[in-house]
Amino acid sequence: MSTLRLLTVGTLLHVKQISRSPFEIAIALVVPVVQATLAVYLFRSSGEQHRLLEAAVGAGVMGVWSSVLFGSGGAIQGQRWQGTLEMIMLAPRRPVLVVLPITIATGLTGTYALLATLVWGRLLYGIRLDFAHPAAFVVAAVVCVVALGMFGLLLAATFVLMRNANALANTLEYPVWLVSGMLVPITVLPAWTTPIAAVLPTTWGARALREATSGGPVWPSLGICLGISLLCLVLGGFALTHVERRARAAATLALA
Amino acid sequence: MSGAYLPGPAASPTPFPFRARAALTPSPVPPPHRSPEKGPGMKTLRLMTVGGVIAYRALFNWTTPGMFIGTLLVGPLFQLLFFAYLGRQLQVADDRFYIVGNAVLTASLACVFGGTMAVANERRYGTLGHVLLSPRSRTAVFWGRVLPYAGNGLLIAVVTLTAGALLLGLRIPVSALPGLLLVMAAGSLACGFFGLTLGALGLRFRDVWVISNVSVALLLLLTGVNVPASGLPGWMVAVGEWLPITHAAEAARRLAAGDGLAAAAGPLGQELLVGAGYAVAAAALLKIFEFESRRTASLDVL
Amino acid sequence: MGSAYAIEAEELRRTYRARTGWLKPRRTEVEAVRGVTFTVGRGELFGLLGPNGAGKTTTIKMLNTLLIPTSGRARVCGHDVERETREVRRRIGYVFGGDRGLYDRLSALDNLRYFAELYAVPAREQKGRIAELLDLVGLAGRERERVEGYSRGMRQRLHIARGLLHSPDVLFLDEPSIGVDPVAARELRRTVADLASTGTTVLLTTHYMAEADELCDRIAVIADGCIQALGTPAELRRRAEGRRVVEVEAYGVPESAVDALRGLPGVRETAVEARGALQLLTVHSDAHVDVQSDVLRELAGIRLGRVDSREPTLEDAYVAIVSAAA
Repeated sequence: MSTLRLLTVGTLLHVKQISRSPFEIAIALVVPVVQATLAVYLFRSSGEQHRLLEAAVGAGVMGVWSSVLFGSGGAIQGQRWQGTLEMIMLAPRRPVLVVLPITIATGLTGTYALLATLVWGRLLYGIRLDFAHPAAFVVAAVVCVVALGMFGLLLAATFVLMRNANALANTLEYPVWLVSGMLVPITVLPAWTTPIAAVLPTTWGARALREATSGGPVWPSLGICLGISLLCLVLGGFALTHVERRARAAATLALA
Repeated sequence: MSGAYLPGPAASPTPFPFRARAALTPSPVPPPHRSPEKGPGMKTLRLMTVGGVIAYRALFNWTTPGMFIGTLLVGPLFQLLFFAYLGRQLQVADDRFYIVGNAVLTASLACVFGGTMAVANERRYGTLGHVLLSPRSRTAVFWGRVLPYAGNGLLIAVVTLTAGALLLGLRIPVSALPGLLLVMAAGSLACGFFGLTLGALGLRFRDVWVISNVSVALLLLLTGVNVPASGLPGWMVAVGEWLPITHAAEAARRLAAGDGLAAAAGPLGQELLVGAGYAVAAAALLKIFEFESRRTASLDVL
Repeated sequence: MGSAYAIEAEELRRTYRARTGWLKPRRTEVEAVRGVTFTVGRGELFGLLGPNGAGKTTTIKMLNTLLIPTSGRARVCGHDVERETREVRRRIGYVFGGDRGLYDRLSALDNLRYFAELYAVPAREQKGRIAELLDLVGLAGRERERVEGYSRGMRQRLHIARGLLHSPDVLFLDEPSIGVDPVAARELRRTVADLASTGTTVLLTTHYMAEADELCDRIAVIADGCIQALGTPAELRRRAEGRRVVEVEAYGVPESAVDALRGLPGVRETAVEARGALQLLTVHSDAHVDVQSDVLRELAGIRLGRVDSREPTLEDAYVAIVSAAA
């Protein structure tokens, strides 16, 4: 009970902290216009007029991934720069309970991009928001965001071990968009990418949302997405415990 | 389509540790040296090149090996692959369109962020005032800063084009290579001045990284590199005409198709004009802001 | 309750390893703390006093679980700081000086609510506790403003409120008065004294002599990673008893002149402190020897300012201890 309360209060306050950053808000509102536009014109150029809503949703999910990748990947580093890392690690709690609210918050603020893409799509390009399963879409969106937050925990725990985590984050944006088939499932990719796609929670999350948008069995994909993410959460939890001990030995909690 | 590139911790308003390996505190302008045998032209050239390189090392925080390879070489390659496969899947245009266009576009990343950092980081370190106190021409100082970024952009474009063509099996006629190099150099230079203009604008905004991130995203859309101009609405095409890369990409596509340098000369000239335009714009903006800051005594805030 | 002591440190050592250079990595080692042993009784207000870089913060961070000692052991309320981290963390609060370490875009109230959750303050007690603390540190009425608009002193007080949320048995205060104006610093000292009087054990680090003198039951003077002296303020002051102090303001004193002063009959210690262009020479001598004329003779030809001869203070005792260690 107290754990759930901690996770909820922690997540809400981190969402608040992120949402008040002019940088994050500007990026979350402006970049989706570009992404939605690009997606819409690409689909129009290829004569896929009827799939514009799918394109908008896909572009939005891309935004969620960017938010989780940059936010969670840099979560621990960010706390370090603010000088809050020592204070939160001093809490008499498991490290996973301290960091998970931060990474889920990055997933939740990623939904600004998803919402913005849909709103811009409606306003600028008159895309009608007629989802095949509207209720399932909402559920899938929430589950997907929480799942990506758990995946983010694994990123947070592993990125902090690397000296060049920023570089890795800047590198990983496009490949995950591509391999997970976020905008559109890419059937023309080399075969060796298939197993990579199969283990990425992003693949299944994007698929669930697409199925809720244009019709299909939403729940199996969503279930797999959640399953993989829970596994990431467990792995991330162990990694964080290791990271915490290492940081206490190497004196890296305070400075970069 | 690009999310938020985080240029290190700079996105956060807190002071942050830089990884740049050069000394950070001294003003990046070399002291005026007295060598009577050199004319004023030589001195300015020296100020532009030496000063530019020192400033690059001091202010560009992507020069660590990891950051450079990850953000500036591998990242752009993935961007190229993303759009090339998207293009294949949606059958919007052929491989050559996507590979050549995106390769030329990748030069913009180093230039846009570099230009922003060239001015914004100066403010962050509190060294801008010292630079403006230098008796030398600021226009030369700041133009000089563009050169390393443009060189950097060119390197990235060449690497991306080579790797992309090899990975996706695109054949480019050997005779087109010198022309391509010229076109990419022009695009990089134009982007460098574009970046400097953004950096100058950054002096008036609290969060300059918004400008650079949004600009990079807009270039993806408006330069016609990923959606053919025929598929874009007229006003977007019109805006693209005034942006760097648009014409360079067009010239590069003609060259890669084996059309010869004559066919590419038109857009190449336009690209150079766009670049010159931004060079003048950046110099003018920096002059205006400097004057204004002296009038309103905000030099130390700059 | 376990141990009779709130804090026990035995032979604590801490070495920092750093790697510099990328092409040719070089390993450097710095011994920040080299064998520190002391105990703090329950309810005691204990001061760690020392110059910058003496090892104060490193010692505190080993005691509050943020750093693992390279060797040696420490217990807080009877729990080992290396292995029983959760038990230790439940019982301690940590406040450091400076203005970082808060969520700037959140209000003070949000900051406290968040840390109350993290530090496991029971849900139904949170509201009352937070209101009480806001009152204690004088932030009541401004708790809904964002922290980014706070002054340094206000941030410092918020830090203290945060450190006290879970009513810790042991409070670590690491240079809490750094950069705080004199009025705020006095308020701060009153708050700390009140806490100690209600039974909280406080370990305070500072390099302000007066602060340590006014507040602490006992003081350990730490320099160069070792404890140089330990005792009550009165005991430490006695170290300078039987001495006299000559202070000379001078400009451009050569090293050789300082060495010559040290050799004068009756001189115990000399110290030089740079104050801009000026140097402040402090010469400790036996009380029955008047060294002032000897000192001035040695300094002949050097531009001098004010010259003063006086009784020693606690600060002189501190200077004597620290300069003897150097």
